Amino acid sequence: MKSLIFGLTAAVSLSSGVASMPRDDKPESKSWIIWADRVYTGTGMNFDAGMVGVGGGKIAIVAASRGSDDESSDRILRCYAVTAGLVDASVRITNGASSVEQSNEIQPNLRVANTLDPFAIEWDRQLRNGVTSVLVNPPDLNVIGGLSVALKTAGADTIAERTLKNDAVLRGSMGSEPSRGNHPAFGRPTDFFSRRPTTRMGVEWAWRKAFYDAAAAANDSTRAFPGSERLVQALKGDLTISIQAWATQDIRTAVFLKEEIESQAEFKNGLNKPRMFIDAAAEAWKEPQLLVRAKIPVVLPPFPAAGRTRDNSFMAWNVAEELRKEGIPFALSSHGSAAPENALAMQAGYAMQGGLPFENALAAVTSMPARLMGVADRVGTLEVGKDADLVLWNGQPFEPSSRVIAVIVDGVLRYDARDKAVAK
Amino acid sequence: MITALLALTAPLVFAAPPTKSGPESPAKSVAIRADVVWLGDGRVLEKGVVLFSEGRIAEIGTNVSVPAGVETIEHKGFLTAGLIALHGYTGGQAGEMRDDARPAMPNAKIGLVFDASSPDVADARAVGITSLLLTPNAEGVAPGLTAVVKTSSRRLLKDEAHLSLVFNAGGLVSNREPTSLSGAVAMLDQLFAKPTGAVERAHGGSLPCLFEVGEPADVLRAIDFAKRHDLRGVIHGAVLAGEVADQIKASKLSVIVPAIGVGERRRNLKSVVALAKKEIPFGFGLDSPVNNPADLRLGAVMCVREGVDAKVAWNALTSEAARIAGVADRVGTIDRGMDADVVLWSGDPLDLGSRVIAVYVDGARVDGDKR
Amino acid sequence: MWMRTTQLTALLSLCALAPDAFAGNGKIVIKCGRVVTGNGPDIENGVVVIEEGRIVAVGKDEKAAWDAEVLDHPELVAYPGFVEAHSSRGMDRPNENIEVAPFLDVRDSIDPINFYFEDVLRQGITTINVQQGPLCVIGGQGRVVKPVGLTVDEMTVRSSSGLKIVAGSRPGRSRATQAQVLRKTFGELRAYLEKLVQDKKDGKDYARREALFQGRDMDKDENKNGRAMEGVASWKLENFEIVPRGEVDEKQEPLLRLVEGKLMAFVYCDSAVAVNNALETARSNGFLANTVLVLDGDAWKAADIIAESGVSVVLGPNQLFVERDPLTGKEIETFVPKVFFDKKVRFALQSLNSTAQSLWFQAAQCVGRGIDRKSALDAVTRTPAEILRLGKQVGSLEKGKDGNVVLASGDPLSVTSTVQFVVIEGNLVYDRSKDSRARQLLEGIEQANAGPTKTDDDVPVDPHSGKKAEDTKKKSETDGAKKD
Repeated sequence: MKSLIFGLTAAVSLSSGVASMPRDDKPESKSWIIWADRVYTGTGMNFDAGMVGVGGGKIAIVAASRGSDDESSDRILRCYAVTAGLVDASVRITNGASSVEQSNEIQPNLRVANTLDPFAIEWDRQLRNGVTSVLVNPPDLNVIGGLSVALKTAGADTIAERTLKNDAVLRGSMGSEPSRGNHPAFGRPTDFFSRRPTTRMGVEWAWRKAFYDAAAAANDSTRAFPGSERLVQALKGDLTISIQAWATQDIRTAVFLKEEIESQAEFKNGLNKPRMFIDAAAEAWKEPQLLVRAKIPVVLPPFPAAGRTRDNSFMAWNVAEELRKEGIPFALSSHGSAAPENALAMQAGYAMQGGLPFENALAAVTSMPARLMGVADRVGTLEVGKDADLVLWNGQPFEPSSRVIAVIVDGVLRYDARDKAVAK
Repeated sequence: MITALLALTAPLVFAAPPTKSGPESPAKSVAIRADVVWLGDGRVLEKGVVLFSEGRIAEIGTNVSVPAGVETIEHKGFLTAGLIALHGYTGGQAGEMRDDARPAMPNAKIGLVFDASSPDVADARAVGITSLLLTPNAEGVAPGLTAVVKTSSRRLLKDEAHLSLVFNAGGLVSNREPTSLSGAVAMLDQLFAKPTGAVERAHGGSLPCLFEVGEPADVLRAIDFAKRHDLRGVIHGAVLAGEVADQIKASKLSVIVPAIGVGERRRNLKSVVALAKKEIPFGFGLDSPVNNPADLRLGAVMCVREGVDAKVAWNALTSEAARIAGVADRVGTIDRGMDADVVLWSGDPLDLGSRVIAVYVDGARVDGDKR
Repeated sequence: MWMRTTQLTALLSLCALAPDAFAGNGKIVIKCGRVVTGNGPDIENGVVVIEEGRIVAVGKDEKAAWDAEVLDHPELVAYPGFVEAHSSRGMDRPNENIEVAPFLDVRDSIDPINFYFEDVLRQGITTINVQQGPLCVIGGQGRVVKPVGLTVDEMTVRSSSGLKIVAGSRPGRSRATQAQVLRKTFGELRAYLEKLVQDKKDGKDYARREALFQGRDMDKDENKNGRAMEGVASWKLENFEIVPRGEVDEKQEPLLRLVEGKLMAFVYCDSAVAVNNALETARSNGFLANTVLVLDGDAWKAADIIAESGVSVVLGPNQLFVERDPLTGKEIETFVPKVFFDKKVRFALQSLNSTAQSLWFQAAQCVGRGIDRKSALDAVTRTPAEILRLGKQVGSLEKGKDGNVVLASGDPLSVTSTVQFVVIEGNLVYDRSKDSRARQLLEGIEQANAGPTKTDDDVPVDPHSGKKAEDTKKKSETDGAKKD
């Protein structure tokens, strides 16, 4: 670990004392004081034996000392380590196929938020693993599947109230998956699955056509089509594009799409500023210089035990460290998998096994995905004024020998397993 | 086939005087004196008399003067309004309850397929059900209009009760637009963007909607939609609706509890308790003939056992159900001027040991023990 | 074609990994920054001296023979090789169709060049009890092996480690059928033995002729003489000593040894209900003291009766049991090892898979869930060794035990640690720097002499659907994403 400032004694407390913390007596208290042997703020400053104060659902204090609060107060939560709530930029807690409209391959204006179940058991699972914010994508059964939504994993009963950011990204997919299930028209009953792309190149063509059509629509309103205004937003850089691409060839295709938009005459007049990140970029390690050139960040899928993963791609375990060395911003993700070994915190551990330093691993599951989702002003680090989303650990975060013992979301203690864990 | 159907259904809708059929006898005046009369508004008469005349209730009370020549039936037991089953297909014909060519056909009338002579209708009548809310299958996004029918006549009590709107994944078909919930919401939004016909009536508030849902999440989606387009009506299909009772209460929508069976899970019954606790108006669905019509009363009793107030459960079978179906001015309570739809029970109808002694619809005895 | 290539690859790479495995002299000195002995405190800058495959000294300044190979790595941590108490991997088809097959032996199905034995070395496992799968009633005899050697005999640490018995249900069969077949099996054993005695009394020699036909040497001492029925079964056999031991049919003989207390039983229980059946069978036939329960599913709910019975357990690979509260629909989690830890039942852990969630991972999870570090480490070293009756041979770094040592880049329970060297019985059998498959996984570098990379044509085709295996897999992944 670099020169991280454990043992820093100078208090950076931004408030005069804990006693002034706002308190409320509602059952869902939003005021807490967390005493931790390690405070990992995610800003580069870490404290030994530090403290985080939470009030009114926001982080009120981050300090290198514990203050003089009454030790017996039930407002004090003790733990080995505290980090910001984890953020997963690729999650699909959806209703499966009914969460993506397949009657047309280009669906830029449909919101996956309309299909979600706030009571799905998977939210709790994410929460228990320390994940407090997620980007929910529509299933990748389509070229452009629609608008993803950034959500908190716990809170009110409605998706609307849990929403961090509506229409956070425009989501689509390269590779073989969007064309799966499509077929030529001959030889069987005709339905809308007989006209969509059936190959990788068909998928790529559908992407380009959508953007060229949208650019035409921007100049001529008679050529507008459902969702074209969303594509125009994306071309202007007002709506980030998230493309799933596992294998090198699909990563290249996504990069070239961006570069084509940036260079072709059809996209002049401000339509040449798309922002993009590539999700599930398992083979990003193969040609990192392309990503550097096109300034495209990536989200990595879960580390596969034997390397080989979806869309016939191979994900080496040092991919995260390689991306760090190349200076490519990246986030880790569970890619919506519910398997325990694919939990986000485990991915951080695996990335460290591949050589990634702890601080970067922490960023890759907190601040970096928050940036990609466009919610970095709200979540991702322990900083005064940000949402009080915190994870309390009974050991070093991301080690299998540690576990999440409590999770606070918007100041409310949503998961509490402290009695089940023996402090170390 | 289609012509035959039209020929069959046409007189039902247009014939001015109700034509009666089957087991019905002409509705002559009759008086019934019962040990206990539940009026349906909470009042109970001991030794009450109900006088029928011309298919309506002419008089009620403990001291009714029965005109000369009118028979007075002495009933040792309970007298109540007939039960109203919300949501079902009884009397409809399999395969005719939906039109899967199009996902949206908001003006289709399910009432047109009602066949009063179906044995299923007689089955429902025999357990004391006198009115039914007939609903199109919950497929596509707007499968049609619901209707209220009586179990003894071809006459529709109401041929346009609700506009059915579908919010659950079960309504989606994998090879017809929409295939997704987001696509369905988009299509419905589009329907209401330029409302015509039944959609316009629903939009203006004159026609309530039937929101077909499944999971609690669907309930929230429906509530959201209702709020967005200023709709009123009733939610059907969520066994766990009670787990979002707060949101339902705030939405002012009412609820049709999906059919309850003998093995119903406790969690589902607790959900009904939660609805009752929040004083959300609710009635019971039945989905006959798939389910046994006797399950209607059984379900209510199971809810009472789980903690729903007996009076609330009974109203859910009668007066509240009538309000939800939009026919409270005609049926669901025992009052002067209401349709003479009455059931005689051997004892307290919320005691499953009690049985139906006789059923009257429009003042005519349509089922019951031999006399 | 594909199959053959991979096997060849495995063979080649194993040879590459373990240059000295077969020529080694079992003499090596290991010097590490930290030695986790598993038997007392860790030793900083410790030394482990191994001669003739056995540990002769563990300490700080131990002297070694002048000609011993020295592994001197102050940056590494040495610890005893992990012990897998029960595994059905590394075999060619772990399940036999015959439901009562005590005469089978995993010797005949262990595949020495299976990737499994290569994978476990990378995870620091040096001893494995291989047992049949759970699709049987009595599955046959297991075998304790080390994951190195080109033949099963070379690999063997102890043969006939125990009989696999399944007490719960299996696909297509009810619990009742399973219990009935199990009862019937021991009933038949008894009837068979009684008939042997009666035949001997009657002067019939069918059994002797059958034994000769089966090829047993009836003049050998162990076969020539009879002996009294041993063990503590609720049933005994009078006059059994008149039957020469060799005349016992080989199909029944393992069951006889079980009843006599000479063979262990690994009884698989898929549920709490099965535990009763398992304990009852063991008790009434006298082998409770030699029984180890292999638990799965909700079998942990029978922890109280397990504790009372005094048997040891091998816990299922899914350590976190999740069930739904029927009233709220919320998930309730139970960490199974903690249940047994709290009830003071002796327990060993099982790997979830042969790669990332191997024994170290399972033990690490225990630490996170409230089991102290020493007990967690014991559950993958000393305890499984004791359960396998190898307590004096493996499981810790002690004088006299087998020289099975793992050298890793850090703490044995840390996700960032990687196994660098493995020494088994004093021979260096794994060297990460020569592990080309590990390099491919970690760095994406194609391994040398691995043949052409896998192409699409190499993907096996499903004979039923004509689809490639990859397609089917993808489909199931998508299905899995849907909510049920």
